[in-house]
Amino acid sequence: MTAARARRAVIAGLILLVALVPVFTPDTYIHNLLILTFVVAVTASGWNIVGGFTGYVSLGHGAFIGVGGYTGGVLAAHWDVSPFLVAPLGGLAAALVALLLGLATRKTRGAAFVIVSYAMLELLGLVTRNWSGVTGGSQGFLMPLPSWDVRFQNWPFYYALFVLVLLSIGMTVAIRRSKLGLGLMAIRDDEDKAAGVGVRTAVYKSIAFMAGAVLVGVAGTVYGYYVSTLSVGTMFDIVLSMQVVLAALVGGRGTVWGPVLGAFLVVSLSELTNTTLGGTDAGAFRLIMFGGLLLVVVLLLPKGILPTVGNLLEHRRRGDTASPTGTRLEDTPLPPAPARSGTAPSTSDLLRVTDLTMRFGGVTALDQVTMAVPRGSITALIGPNGSGKTTVFNAIDGTYAVTSGSVTLAGRPITGLGRAQRAHAGVGRSHQLPRLFDSLTVVENVAVATGEFRLAGLVRSAVSGAEAARAAELLEFVGMGAYLQARAGDLSYGQRKLVELAQLLMLDPDVILLDEPAAGINPTLRARLTALIRALNDSGRTFVIIEHDMHFVLSLADRAVVLARGRVLADGEPDEVRADPAVLEAYLGADLAVGADR
Amino acid sequence: MIRLESVYAGYGGGDVLQGVDLDVRQGSITCVVGPNGAGKSTVLRTISGLLRPRAGQIRLGDQPIHGRSPAAVIAAGVVQVPQQDGLFGRLTVRDNMLLGGYLIRRDKARLRRRMAELAEAFPIIAERARDKAADLSGGQRRIVEFARALMTEPSLVLLDEPTLGLDPKTCQTVFETTKAIHALGATVLMVEQNVRFGLKLATDGVVMERGRVLLAEPATDLLARPDIAAMFFGATATT
Repeated sequence: MTAARARRAVIAGLILLVALVPVFTPDTYIHNLLILTFVVAVTASGWNIVGGFTGYVSLGHGAFIGVGGYTGGVLAAHWDVSPFLVAPLGGLAAALVALLLGLATRKTRGAAFVIVSYAMLELLGLVTRNWSGVTGGSQGFLMPLPSWDVRFQNWPFYYALFVLVLLSIGMTVAIRRSKLGLGLMAIRDDEDKAAGVGVRTAVYKSIAFMAGAVLVGVAGTVYGYYVSTLSVGTMFDIVLSMQVVLAALVGGRGTVWGPVLGAFLVVSLSELTNTTLGGTDAGAFRLIMFGGLLLVVVLLLPKGILPTVGNLLEHRRRGDTASPTGTRLEDTPLPPAPARSGTAPSTSDLLRVTDLTMRFGGVTALDQVTMAVPRGSITALIGPNGSGKTTVFNAIDGTYAVTSGSVTLAGRPITGLGRAQRAHAGVGRSHQLPRLFDSLTVVENVAVATGEFRLAGLVRSAVSGAEAARAAELLEFVGMGAYLQARAGDLSYGQRKLVELAQLLMLDPDVILLDEPAAGINPTLRARLTALIRALNDSGRTFVIIEHDMHFVLSLADRAVVLARGRVLADGEPDEVRADPAVLEAYLGADLAVGADR
Repeated sequence: MIRLESVYAGYGGGDVLQGVDLDVRQGSITCVVGPNGAGKSTVLRTISGLLRPRAGQIRLGDQPIHGRSPAAVIAAGVVQVPQQDGLFGRLTVRDNMLLGGYLIRRDKARLRRRMAELAEAFPIIAERARDKAADLSGGQRRIVEFARALMTEPSLVLLDEPTLGLDPKTCQTVFETTKAIHALGATVLMVEQNVRFGLKLATDGVVMERGRVLLAEPATDLLARPDIAAMFFGATATT
């Protein structure tokens, strides 16, 4: 606690210090330097929400300064008011542009997004330059002159931008702690999986893009007012965009204070090269400095300054300690499942797959697969490696768009729905290779799963209250109670499997698709898994289980579907299927000894 | 053969291995079992050099190998077969095998001899030599992967859950292939959650819990102990 208090005191002291700089020194050089720092800090904080939390690296984030600057400038001139008054509209315009960028890049990830974001910067610059009737084109656009007394120098700019820095930090903290922030970090780690646990990725991303742009737009209007003459060169500057990215990376991507710290470092260094290595080559030196700094960060501090220092301090404080390790299971009761609100529809088949065909290029992975899963049943889906079992799951949960055929859940066709919508409709699935959000903690991994979507729910605290308690209970039940705060990326294969199971139970779906739940799981735990599946089945959940452990799955299942080479080979009672000569030949093999007594 | 003495190792969040003492007998098939997260796979990773132990010693014969790079550990005669399918799908079976012999790539005669020896032990190597690895069935891929690990004639082969995600037929293949590796003279150290499968295959059994070795006994003795079975092998094992 004392460490947290000390940290708070240091932060408060620094804020106070920066707030009082204009009082201490009348030196406008320092004021101007800090004003530029604030602009970079606000922009880097906004970038951090998109690039740090959500994982979408933007090279054109400076464009929002331009959008805010020109919007504010044009409106202030049109209405003949102070640019300060219309600055919020500059923010709104930037947020709208960000929303458009988000919509245009719905399916664009990774390097492609980087290029699109840069293209946006260039495109907006081009439009501004050519829309000369409004923007003044290449002549530039003259902002009104400041109306206040000259004695106040740049103070209004200074404090306006300083407040924007504080607001940016506040917003970052709020997002970091909210359900929204948790969802964004899940998207960063594994976007498809995030949709699979019910995160509406498109909505989350749109909100993140807008949040990352709005304050930058406001700062853009203030900055435009400060530079007084808007030109495409200053307002849509790629170098500024680069500085922003660099600041966030140096300080610590995905942290609250990193981008701000980075802004102070990058702007000071940039100024240093300008003054000491001035002259005609200053620009070139600056670029070399940026490149060198980027290299240093990538090689020595891949996570940025703050996380690296934080880890060191943490390590020193804690010393060499033991991490929790696997032990025999205590008997933990299964936490009661939350009551289901839905009324039971009349159809007897909860899940129905009809004439499902999947082709990848020339390969037919599934060929006219038809299977019905009765409500309340446990259906085993078995077959040799490569027979298409996981592909069936991928078609049901929306990972793949099917070539032909349909999937209905409780009589409702779901083939046209996205992954998150299917998760909300009641489809939950686990993966053969467990997929977790590696940078999140174990309890966050479970708490991020959400069975419904409400806009108001996004502002709720990420991990607290009844949901967190339930997540902890579920983890306790699967034997992972000691690992709540461990990073998911540090877990072993079997442990990841267990956490994914808890995640799935958090979602509380109607039909639970388990892809090899027993593989890599200790036999003691396997027995508990059996009990868990039975208990959930008794409370009305329907299961489809892919599994090679015949003893495990056939003792549970009341129906078995056998796939071979993408077709249904057999479908019936487990005992029937087990005795079917075709199944024996294709799957179980002549020697049953190994498989049977696992 | 290989001996671990008070080995401590972890992934940054503290130690997972908390003083592991383990002695693997030359010529044995040693199978490590235990709860999820007990540190079984971590033991293999520290031996193969993928993870550097924080403290303790690992000796292969008289030679200390802790702290060496994975390549140096392979050169010393220890090869790990990864948990998941590790073949290069777009390369042919032959090319995959040659990659297994990357460390002896300059010794053409030895490479050729080794390919011939392995093709004799595992006929599929010769039969499907020109086929892409991706075109093989799951079981066939597993055989090639095991054979590839033997290219440098390792004295110790590490298997991390060799039956994970494999259908019963392929499990049988793995069983036989492991026996074949052993018959070719390699010592095998494996981790397996399919406990009965693993201990039936093994000569020696090791039970791990909480980052330490709890028990090391001949596999048949371990299988026969009802107390251990109840604690670690699940209820099904007692029936």
